[in-house]
Amino acid sequence: MSGIVAQSGPVIPDFGEASSCVQDNRLFCPDWVRDNWGPVLQPALLQHVKLTIIAVAIGFVLAFIAALLARHRPWFERPFDLVSALVYTIPSIALFQLLVPVTGLTVTTVEVALVSYTLLILFRNFLTGFRSVPADVLEAARGMGMGSFQVLRRVELPLALPAIMAGVRVATVSTIALATVAAFVIPEGLGRPIFLALRQFFNTELIVTALLAIGLALVADGLLVLAQRALTPWTRARTRP
Amino acid sequence: MIGDISVFGDALRFIEENPGLLWDKTVEQLELSAAAIGVALLVALPIGIGLGHLRRYSFVAINVANIGRALPTLAVIAVCIVFLPVGFTVVLIALVVLAVPPILTNAYVGVSEVDAETVEAARGMGMTERQILQRVELPLASPLLFAGIRTAVVFVVASATIAAIAGGGGLGDVIVNQASYGIEGVIGASILVSALAFACDGVVALVQRGVTPRPLRGRRVGDTMLVSEPRTKGSTL
Amino acid sequence: MIRKHTRRAARAAFAISFGVAIILGGAASATAASSEPTAAPIIVGTKNFGEAFVLGELYKQALEAKGLDVSYKENIGSTELIQKALTSGKITLYPEYVGIAYTVTFKKKTFPASALATYSTVKRLYAAKGYTVLPMTPFQDVDAVAVLRTTAKKYGLKSVSDLKKVPDLTLAAFPEFRTRETGLVGMKKKYGVTDVKFTPLAGISAYKLLDDGKVLAAGVFSTDPPLATSKYVVLKDPKNIFGFQNVVPIVSNKLVSEYGSKLTSTLNAVSRKLTLKAMLAMNTAVYVDQKPAAQIADAFLKANGLK
Repeated sequence: MSGIVAQSGPVIPDFGEASSCVQDNRLFCPDWVRDNWGPVLQPALLQHVKLTIIAVAIGFVLAFIAALLARHRPWFERPFDLVSALVYTIPSIALFQLLVPVTGLTVTTVEVALVSYTLLILFRNFLTGFRSVPADVLEAARGMGMGSFQVLRRVELPLALPAIMAGVRVATVSTIALATVAAFVIPEGLGRPIFLALRQFFNTELIVTALLAIGLALVADGLLVLAQRALTPWTRARTRP
Repeated sequence: MIGDISVFGDALRFIEENPGLLWDKTVEQLELSAAAIGVALLVALPIGIGLGHLRRYSFVAINVANIGRALPTLAVIAVCIVFLPVGFTVVLIALVVLAVPPILTNAYVGVSEVDAETVEAARGMGMTERQILQRVELPLASPLLFAGIRTAVVFVVASATIAAIAGGGGLGDVIVNQASYGIEGVIGASILVSALAFACDGVVALVQRGVTPRPLRGRRVGDTMLVSEPRTKGSTL
Repeated sequence: MIRKHTRRAARAAFAISFGVAIILGGAASATAASSEPTAAPIIVGTKNFGEAFVLGELYKQALEAKGLDVSYKENIGSTELIQKALTSGKITLYPEYVGIAYTVTFKKKTFPASALATYSTVKRLYAAKGYTVLPMTPFQDVDAVAVLRTTAKKYGLKSVSDLKKVPDLTLAAFPEFRTRETGLVGMKKKYGVTDVKFTPLAGISAYKLLDDGKVLAAGVFSTDPPLATSKYVVLKDPKNIFGFQNVVPIVSNKLVSEYGSKLTSTLNAVSRKLTLKAMLAMNTAVYVDQKPAAQIADAFLKANGLK
């Protein structure tokens, strides 16, 4: 009984050689980026954007509803606050894994976790925003005969807008960061090429995907700042000494 | 619901059965976090307090902090690994990047928002700039300062988990190795991370109490950063 | 004031356990529910470096090509971690280096005289634990000492013992090499190579140090891509101080009884084809040309009629 299997010379196919830039593992190989933009980088980027938008949108809606609830039933706020404080101490890499048995190795799992995080940020901001509306303004509006819905739409929301927009900004940027970790459980988003590149210490892929993730976050932050300024022009007058 | 408790129970049993391993990992995570907070304090406090006192360059202070806040920790690790070997240093840098923004912003805003008239009055009384800072601005700014530090501490302790993928050790070693430690290991280690983050937050709160002059205690500015943003960034990686 | 704090503390404690229960309970219930095992699932595990990924993909894809359902848990980590995964049933199959199994898993100190003897011992010891060790690959990824071809010519170096001839011998290797029987200690004991200035490596490639003339010899691994070129010579180790490191698939007995020869003959067919030359080519593709392991395994299997 032989322990070593007999040799019968294998066929060694051509695996395709990479450019000398890649072979030397230089910091940045434009040829690799060009070749892999379509198949690897762009899809990852688009997946990442999609993950983020879905999470922030759903979180926004849920936070809005929760904030309205909290206004009418004050006891609602405290448990929410404490659960949120707790959830932030759970490392996202753990939260993603814990949800896998529940919702499988799917985008849903990741979205549930991401929405949880955005929900908690936005809830706090909606509440802060609503609370920042001075009581006498509310009185005046009601005195003018506006119904609840009108008060909400024409008075409270506009005045709460700065806080809400600030929250959307933080939530979006956080989600972009968290979504990079999501690639630990599902092969989606910019985290995937990062994780793969980390194993091979492949410099170009590491630098390019990391810069894409950072760039995405900064661009999103910048766009939201502009949106914030556009939607709440009156806050610009508030200058710091 | 019996099923629920059982896996949670498994997790607690895991903690019980692996005290040595989990203790070592916890210590690693604490060392990393402490180093990161230390460096961040050294960098961010002087700049934030200094600029806040001068009440200048708010643009720089706020925006540098904003940019730092937007950087996904995993991406920062990825870039650092290109230039540095795997291990403690790489993760340290990424965690410092994470910790600096809340400390800097809150330090800046806390000091600069101290009532201008109070500061003027102190100047009028003949206090030097340094005395103003020490006796007037810092005490009044301390709630916000500490809020920023506590935020940073929770972020860093929880995010240090990601250290595992870059050879930095810590409880993340268990959390990213579900194949070896099982879901009960992941849950168990996560519970420890949460507990650790809470504990560190508590320690800073105690320090805050100890350091705040008695007349100013009980003055809660709340846990919010004054730039109308919530405390939590949520990037607990 | 004390009362307020106690209340807050109590509320916090309640909320913490409440929150934990919600978050983990939901996840845990489905975990418990879905943890009913299907009959002997094939779960392939791998360690955490390029060559391990290639091996894992090769075996995984070959089994899938035969219509078997395979789960894959790659990137597990050290020998200790992957052993833990195996013994706890989280993986049921993984490729291991026979010498590593011998020294690390079974904690033996000195290697026997041949690869076959090492294999037999490992096979016997694993059988006692309920695992089948399948036949070895032709290639081994073993510690070795390499020098530049020019250095070998200059000093007439053919085997490790010839290093005695080299004055001012400098050698670079990973730090543990200095204290191992499968390293400097063995070299001193068995070959009498005593006068060595050791440089521990920390990030820089040993090959770079050889190229730059910073060291005359380096502790390397026999399947490193640079060894595929003719620039370096691997010194022979007739006394086998570095041991034997052919790869063997370690399979849980449950898998063998469930799938029988369909599983074992497929794995053996793959192992047969893994010669040193093949492995060097695949490692070059992984480490140098940065091709994904899955793609490399796919190409290799197809070229050899295994897929």
